[in-house]
Amino acid sequence: MTMNKILIVAKRDYIESVRTKAFLFGMIAAPILFGSGFIGIAVLRGKPDIAERRIAVVDRSGEAASTVIATVVQKNEHDLIDKDSGKQTMPRYRFETVAPDTANPEAQRLDLSRRVRPDDLYGFIEIGSNALRPDSTGEKNPDNGLSWYSNDTGVAGTRAWLSGPLNDGIRRVRMAKAGVDPARFDDLLGSVSIRTMNLVTKDEKTGQIHPAEKRNEAAAVVPLAMVMMLFMISMVSAAPMLNAIAEDKLQRVHEMLLASASPFDLIAGKVLAAVGRSLTSSVLYVGAALFTLNSMAMIGVVQLDLIPWFMVYLIAEITMLSAMAAALGASCGSPQDAQSLAMVLFAPVVIPIMMVSVIMERPNGALGEVMSFIPPFTPMIMMLRQGLPGGVPGWQPWVGLVGMTCGVIAICWAASRIFRVGILMQGKPPSPAELVKWAVRG
Amino acid sequence: MHAIDLRDVTKTFGDLTAVDDLSLTVREGAIHGFIGPNGSGKTTTMRMIVGIFHPDAGSVEVFGRQTNGIRTGLIGYLPEERGLYRKMIVRTLLEFHGELRGGRNVPQQVSYWLDRLGLAAFADKRIDTLSKGMTQKVQFVAAVIPEPRLIILDEPFTGLDPVSAESIREAILEMRRKGTTVVLSTHDMGTAEALCDSILMIFKGRKVLDGTLDEIQAQYGNDTIRLSAEGGAEALTGLPEIEQVRDLGQVQEVRMTLGADPQELLRALIARTAVRSFSVTKPSLHDIFVRIAGEDSRQ
Repeated sequence: MTMNKILIVAKRDYIESVRTKAFLFGMIAAPILFGSGFIGIAVLRGKPDIAERRIAVVDRSGEAASTVIATVVQKNEHDLIDKDSGKQTMPRYRFETVAPDTANPEAQRLDLSRRVRPDDLYGFIEIGSNALRPDSTGEKNPDNGLSWYSNDTGVAGTRAWLSGPLNDGIRRVRMAKAGVDPARFDDLLGSVSIRTMNLVTKDEKTGQIHPAEKRNEAAAVVPLAMVMMLFMISMVSAAPMLNAIAEDKLQRVHEMLLASASPFDLIAGKVLAAVGRSLTSSVLYVGAALFTLNSMAMIGVVQLDLIPWFMVYLIAEITMLSAMAAALGASCGSPQDAQSLAMVLFAPVVIPIMMVSVIMERPNGALGEVMSFIPPFTPMIMMLRQGLPGGVPGWQPWVGLVGMTCGVIAICWAASRIFRVGILMQGKPPSPAELVKWAVRG
Repeated sequence: MHAIDLRDVTKTFGDLTAVDDLSLTVREGAIHGFIGPNGSGKTTTMRMIVGIFHPDAGSVEVFGRQTNGIRTGLIGYLPEERGLYRKMIVRTLLEFHGELRGGRNVPQQVSYWLDRLGLAAFADKRIDTLSKGMTQKVQFVAAVIPEPRLIILDEPFTGLDPVSAESIREAILEMRRKGTTVVLSTHDMGTAEALCDSILMIFKGRKVLDGTLDEIQAQYGNDTIRLSAEGGAEALTGLPEIEQVRDLGQVQEVRMTLGADPQELLRALIARTAVRSFSVTKPSLHDIFVRIAGEDSRQ
């Protein structure tokens, strides 16, 4: 390994890539593309579907329909208009009561289902015969509860919204049957607000106890945003390398370079250039994000002590991905082969993204902790867990860092051995077993 | 001290033995030609000298030091499979190659060689705007900057027009005059005969010829006749003194059977047809090459 040669290769790769239109376009387009998804969701939430929805109710208990419908309608009227904006934020629900067909309930369900398909009805609710007095068979028996039939995917939230007033309605019927004065229903069923608080902490040095503060829900968005940024920069910085190496191999540029520099020097130089590219993007993105938050007086939601960790994780992630990209690119027979290997390359960032919602639910659960210590996943998962309320035990990021450093070295070492063999090999791309053999035996 | 010293070198790829127990030395300051059919092991040998491949057995020494995969600025290398970063500017690319080999005064050397090979006007052009011939000349310059003590050229003349080939040939001779050791591989036997001080033929990974042209030809004796006769090659059929005829069109190159007398052959020919020229000579390098490689392919 010669540091000077690594720097010469890195300088060339960095300058040749950052001055391309593709890099500038990618740097500007990536946040727009990624951001437009979130903006799109926000816009769609701001413009909900408010078309009227008709719902049929079949009451097999014979006692609940009118109260349940009245309760839902009352709640619907309450929630229909946003008090601040004065705009309608949800659809108005209209109900029709359908007398139950006790002789052939399946035929009745089929008839109602047919009415749902041409959009006559949005859906229909069937109140089970035992809904007011469930028997010991519990939820397994549909007669003990309510059934909601519709084409609603669940994303629209209708079922979730209906759940509250429907249960409320059933409870009102039960209380009336139990002899409770209807004037007390609202008091008895009224809900209370739940404040989300951080934990109480104690300063170990001074012994002072810091009372819990109300949690800023926006603060949980920051680590998620940082993980998304890590994902975005990784994709933008490492993805072109796979194709570039495969293209250079096709153009046969490496043999002459291998006479002047070792495979490790070449791969290290290329990785360094990729890290440089990613730092260029990230400094710009982080700077822009901080500037924007500051101008919106929201800088307080950012945990500034996470930014150094973000940079460390970014460097580690890019190093691992670009070393893998160099090895896979060198193994490809053509740039087309490289395309098909892209999913393998991006597994270390795609898998954590798929796990984000699970880990946000239980940041310190077994899954989160185990994934934090698997080197390819450490940057994104540990970053997320560190930023979420409660954080992680102090030792975990450091142990993760040690594991990640070992992982980076092992991946770079194996990648340089694969690169050395693969870059001069033509024809059929190697099998995964051959790649392992090259990495082990060189 | 030898520029190159290979001892008992073997290199295999899976089941294929590309180089088999090869030993050779290359004198410093000489032009050494590697010849051999495609796939005989020339490029693998060159890659081992440069340090791209490590031998499975044996040792490779360059200027008295084992290479062991360590790259040195002493060696320039022009591979057979040409390729340059196509979007780079010619001058920037050459300076990159020069710096990577640890050169000093790289910009001045780049300017000298661009001038020397008539590329100065293209110094600020992108590689992908150059013709194939010019790109090859640029790659040659990339191999000789900074001035190497040993330069390995794998098929340096392939694809070049005669004028470009001549400028590369002159550059090689100039480097030899300055003391650079040159190893080049070629399929053009005429080039090997004219340019090389010594020649090595590798066949199926093994050394089959090694020495100066005179030394190699001496191994085969004066068994070759170059003649021109009325009726061309057809007039030579059926003569017992002739083992093989190479028809060059106006001239035929004849290899005699072992122990045949050239005078007997001449008398037999005159009895058949009008003989315009008849000379007893050593076999050409081409003929020797074909005798070795052709015999095997016939088998």
